[in-house]
Amino acid sequence: MSRQLAMVMDLNKCIGCQTCTIACKRLWTRDDGMEYMWWNTVNTQPGRGTPRDWESMGGGFRDGTPEPSRIPSRGEFGEAWEYNHEEVFFGNKGKEAHLQIKGEKPEWGPNWDEDQGAGDYPNSYYFYLPRICNHCTHPACLEACPRKAIEKNVENGIVTVNEDRCRGYRFCMEACPYKKIYFNQARKVSQKCIFCFPRIEQGVANACARQCPGRVRFVGYRDDQDAPIHKLVDKWKVAVPLHPEYGTEPNVFYVPPIAPPRFDEEGEIDEIAPRIPEAYLVSLFGPKVLEALATLGEEMAKARRGEASELMDLLIAYKWKEMFGGFDRDPATIEWVKS
Amino acid sequence: MKVSFVREVALDDLLDADHASWGRGTELEIPLIGTPVGMQPTAAIRVAWMNKKIGTVDRVVASALHNGSEIAFRLEWASPTESAEVHENDSFPDAAAIALPVASDAPVVTMGAPGLPVNAWYWRADEPRGARQLSAEGLGTSQTFDSRVIQGRGAWKHGRWRVVLARALRVESEGPVASLEPGATTGFGVAIWDGANAERAGVKSFSGDWLPLEIEAGSREGNAS
Repeated sequence: MSRQLAMVMDLNKCIGCQTCTIACKRLWTRDDGMEYMWWNTVNTQPGRGTPRDWESMGGGFRDGTPEPSRIPSRGEFGEAWEYNHEEVFFGNKGKEAHLQIKGEKPEWGPNWDEDQGAGDYPNSYYFYLPRICNHCTHPACLEACPRKAIEKNVENGIVTVNEDRCRGYRFCMEACPYKKIYFNQARKVSQKCIFCFPRIEQGVANACARQCPGRVRFVGYRDDQDAPIHKLVDKWKVAVPLHPEYGTEPNVFYVPPIAPPRFDEEGEIDEIAPRIPEAYLVSLFGPKVLEALATLGEEMAKARRGEASELMDLLIAYKWKEMFGGFDRDPATIEWVKS
Repeated sequence: MKVSFVREVALDDLLDADHASWGRGTELEIPLIGTPVGMQPTAAIRVAWMNKKIGTVDRVVASALHNGSEIAFRLEWASPTESAEVHENDSFPDAAAIALPVASDAPVVTMGAPGLPVNAWYWRADEPRGARQLSAEGLGTSQTFDSRVIQGRGAWKHGRWRVVLARALRVESEGPVASLEPGATTGFGVAIWDGANAERAGVKSFSGDWLPLEIEAGSREGNAS
């Protein structure tokens, strides 16, 4: 493996607006068979996630051995539903028709438990967790495929499904512990996030990253020492992978969320125990999240005292283009051709 | 198994599993066994199937006919459920295949070996009027090629699949196509996938080592050649 592209998402800046989700949807998953696909999802945590309860499905590796798992159902991902736009806007029915879902009412969908979170008032809490394919260094999907239909690009580490080799056997969906692979019934192949490789090849950052209004996502090569990814993941160690215990070595990293302080029983600010329980963050990001939180706390204090902090400057992302590790070309300057 | 020569039967009739001409073939009941879990090509598949039954279809009734220009195999097996529509992420179609050697010493149990290709004709229930042609040189290496060459038809009735796979006896192809000459003896193998048991890829039941296939002499143009 010569190089590896990576992404860092700063969860303290994500407002759950789903602009990333829609940017991805409009660009990549509008064809037949892709209706229920969301290669990018943003879920409220704590929550059941997308697909529902994916964290209890198994997959990945334990001590290097594949962990048994299962294929998530379409219902667990959430079927795509349609609205009666035609009837409301063009049906000439005036006030008689109102916007509603066509057909059966869905009982689950992506981000179904939005903003429910956990904890009791006044100490309730939640945060948003955007997810894409982790383009793992040790991809369970690639290793599970009996047809060698999944490839990891040696020049950038992007993991893709070769649809000419894929026969739709779905061992990859079973093996992926992050449950980020979808089955396309129309094409009879597995499909997933491609890290926007056609954009990357042209020097353009991923759509989810470039369209993010909150400056949440950093993109770049893991070993580019002058770019933010390397500084956040390897130098400052404030960005950690989701569920490192799954054993696939993800290349998407998260700056953990820091919530406002708790109130104690007298209604006074309680600085001692964090509002988001540390144990919960450890359950998501592993024990290294505690060191990341400690470093973030120290640097925030420094900045508050008026001292310089390279880390805070990086996370604030004063210069938008510098988040993209050189992949900062404007896509409007390229003539795109759909093949 | 003998491939009986039925000179006047047209290809369309051969592709009809219920056509009277099939009464002229010799039916052979072939016992099938599940592929061994240790032979599955990836660790994830081996772990997933460690304690699950592979190969729920344990027998298939085969017969074969040729009319001097086309050859057809009919496979019939009991399948209590018709798994044809892939309506869920974890639903898989029933499927069947015929394997034929390209190199005479190609091993069938491993679907060929490097330099020793096996040719296979593959039909599946979600595409009941069609078939694919594959070649393989070892487990996990199968590739489709010249799929127009193979014709397939399948129908499920009263708890049984009847599937016909057919091809021209003589095929011009640059790919590794098995030779099927009237008057010659070669080998064949059968594989069945039970969709209801999530069988796909190398998870299937199969007929073991090559079974003899004796193609009766006879050509369309005249007397036995």
